[in-house]
Amino acid sequence: MELLSNLGLGFSVASSFANLGFCLIGVLLGTLIGVLPGIGATATIAMLLPITFQLEPVSSLIMLAGIYYGAQYGGSTTAILINMPGESSSAVTAIDGYQMARKGRAGTALATAALGSFFAGTVATFLVAIFAPPLTAIALEFGAAEYFSLMVLGLVMSVALAHGTVLKALAMVILGLLLGIVGTDIYTGTPRFTLGITQFADGLNFVALAVGVFGIAEILRNLEDEHERQVMTRNINRLFPSGPELRQIIGPVLRGTGVGSVLGILPGGGAILASFASYTLEKKLSKHPEEFGHGAIAGVAGPESANNAGAQTSFIPLLTLGIPANPVMALMIGAMIIQGIVPGPGVVTEQPDLFWGIIASMWIGNLMLVVLNLPLIGLWVKLLTVPYYVLFPIIMAMCSIGVYSVNSNVYDLFAVAFFGFLGYVLSKLRFEPAPLLLGFVLGPLLEENLRRAMILSRGDPTTFVTRPISAGLLVLALAVLVLVFLPQIRKRREEVFTESDG
Amino acid sequence: MTLTLTRRILLGTAFVFGLAGAAAADYPDRAITLVIPFAAGGSTDVVGRIVAERMSADLGQQVVVQNVGGAGGSLGATQVAEADPDGYTILMGTVATHALNPLILKQKPYDPVADFAPVSLLVLVPNVLAVNPELPVQNVQELIDLAKTQPLAYASSGNGTPLHLSGELFKAMAGVDITHIPYKGSGPALTDVLGNQVPIIFDNLPSASGHITSGKLRALGVTTAERAPSFPDVPAIAETLPGYETYSWNALFAPAGTPPEAVARLNAAAVAAMADPAVVARMGEFSASIVASSPEELAQHVKAEMTKWEPVVTDANVTMD
Repeated sequence: MELLSNLGLGFSVASSFANLGFCLIGVLLGTLIGVLPGIGATATIAMLLPITFQLEPVSSLIMLAGIYYGAQYGGSTTAILINMPGESSSAVTAIDGYQMARKGRAGTALATAALGSFFAGTVATFLVAIFAPPLTAIALEFGAAEYFSLMVLGLVMSVALAHGTVLKALAMVILGLLLGIVGTDIYTGTPRFTLGITQFADGLNFVALAVGVFGIAEILRNLEDEHERQVMTRNINRLFPSGPELRQIIGPVLRGTGVGSVLGILPGGGAILASFASYTLEKKLSKHPEEFGHGAIAGVAGPESANNAGAQTSFIPLLTLGIPANPVMALMIGAMIIQGIVPGPGVVTEQPDLFWGIIASMWIGNLMLVVLNLPLIGLWVKLLTVPYYVLFPIIMAMCSIGVYSVNSNVYDLFAVAFFGFLGYVLSKLRFEPAPLLLGFVLGPLLEENLRRAMILSRGDPTTFVTRPISAGLLVLALAVLVLVFLPQIRKRREEVFTESDG
Repeated sequence: MTLTLTRRILLGTAFVFGLAGAAAADYPDRAITLVIPFAAGGSTDVVGRIVAERMSADLGQQVVVQNVGGAGGSLGATQVAEADPDGYTILMGTVATHALNPLILKQKPYDPVADFAPVSLLVLVPNVLAVNPELPVQNVQELIDLAKTQPLAYASSGNGTPLHLSGELFKAMAGVDITHIPYKGSGPALTDVLGNQVPIIFDNLPSASGHITSGKLRALGVTTAERAPSFPDVPAIAETLPGYETYSWNALFAPAGTPPEAVARLNAAAVAAMADPAVVARMGEFSASIVASSPEELAQHVKAEMTKWEPVVTDANVTMD
């Protein structure tokens, strides 16, 4: 019953006129950037972060969350219509979705994606509502030792789940860790790697780094080669799936929701991994595996449900522990900190309206997406024809103003330029920026908690293995590490990621 | 750059020809920037924004808040110290920017006395010594006794902050050793004390007050010489350790060389703002006590604070490069 009254509070917050408006802006913007190949949710949220500072905390988080799951919807639209996933998590959808579109079933594919996502979103919203509060009780048991072990697990996972080679991912994590060290050491007050610049005494600005590595770098990369964009619009058939088709998608949607919900919670995971796992699962379970790759409706329904469920449940570690499961959640932490909210177990009790408001808004946002998306598909397709030379200068100007407004610090703009260039070079060399961002966020926490745990235990390192939660997390991290390096798994992992790059 | 130079020359010329008075009569004829040397959302930011809004009404010009956070307040303070002394750039100074940082920092980016023209000491904000309710102590004396028999640790919002030094002063006066655990701000420090990872905390009273009221923290004492009006049941630490007194404060400063007429006008606006019933009510909720001093009183206050903190900083051996 408490759950119902809490959800009631959430819906009353989320359905205020202003918050409905911000939710709508968020999902529209999310769909828009999801449709536009090249600009991802991470880049958009990074760029909007500074602007949200002017809003109420709950409104800004509702809007940013809307962008995140809105992008999952928009990404599947382009994946189906032009075989170009607007979001990496929609990469799998493109495999069978585009084939469906070529066979004249684009409408069915789009509707399947939307309905599957909506169902998964609804279930995942309830999962967040049910599991987040009890988890916060456990979260209060988390001391410095537990946080340290959790960071270790998170960093190991982010390496294990990154695209490309393990070595490159590891290099990015370490670069992130090193960049995270810049600034004043909180225990001794000694400045480290600040090059004598007082403006860097508090470390590199997270927003500047994120805007640079993700936003500016993606813009540079897109300007370099503007893709041919061939749009499959003539073949949109009726939208709603027929009876037999509905029966075909029920199983995949349910399984996709389950897989996605579980994987979303894990650090380093989230929507991308969920969609791949669901696709592999459906292919294995199917009576006609040969249909996959040639327009199997299950190959759209499963992954689309999974990526949306994963996108939602990745809010659980954020809202309970204040730990990001993926780079978008790292940005959400940034958004909360800008607003003076400390992400962590205190949020549920101290800011119930914020917590439940965000959860309720997720469901409302998903509903908006279904209602809006299907009729608006024609409009989104038209947007694909806006030339980048108009779009990108506007975005870059907005970014710069936004970053500067956070701290009125010119050095943050230098950092944006530097990291934009660095991000571009890294992407040319096929290094993934996501582990870098996670390293940058988790690294300082790792060090801070390692040293705090050591001070509290009076220099006794066994504190990490004698405390049960901490020991459990370390064992889990070790297991993941072993798995990643097992030859069989390694091959499988490479296969999966090759598909996504293709 | 050219613009500022020209303006400086013009101002200089105005002084030479004795026109400064005429210029000050029109003051202020454009928006004033209030630099808050901390990120938005903290207690200094809240005080600054409330005051800026009221001062705007009184001055007839917008007082625009600009957050220049970083380096424990030093970045924003340095920016104002180096700004044109024309009365259009002012600083929301604190105990950190005008007493502790200048004592702690090895490289001094500004001089808290010579580089500033004091305007008004606005408010004093008490700190509080609180413990997790599972720690078996009911008052300050029991805590001191316990600390003598077993190792304890206390959390603070960071190295060199007023809360850290409140803890160090406490240790020195009580003759006990309690390990200091610094955090990045009050929020994470509070979280760990609520979860009983660290048993003791020194925090700003406004930030801890919610948890004290709800019983999740047991307040042992406030750091002001007298009890705080918002928590009459919580004794002052000074009742156990006579002479113990620390608090955070917020004060307005202009750059040194600002025309006295402008300082006087700003002071009048600040004093009027602090007398506004709505401001008084907000500050009460905040456990902040209003001072609204004259510029001379603020100058005295800064000197007194530096004298008070110098031995604490030296004894605790707190330095930063």
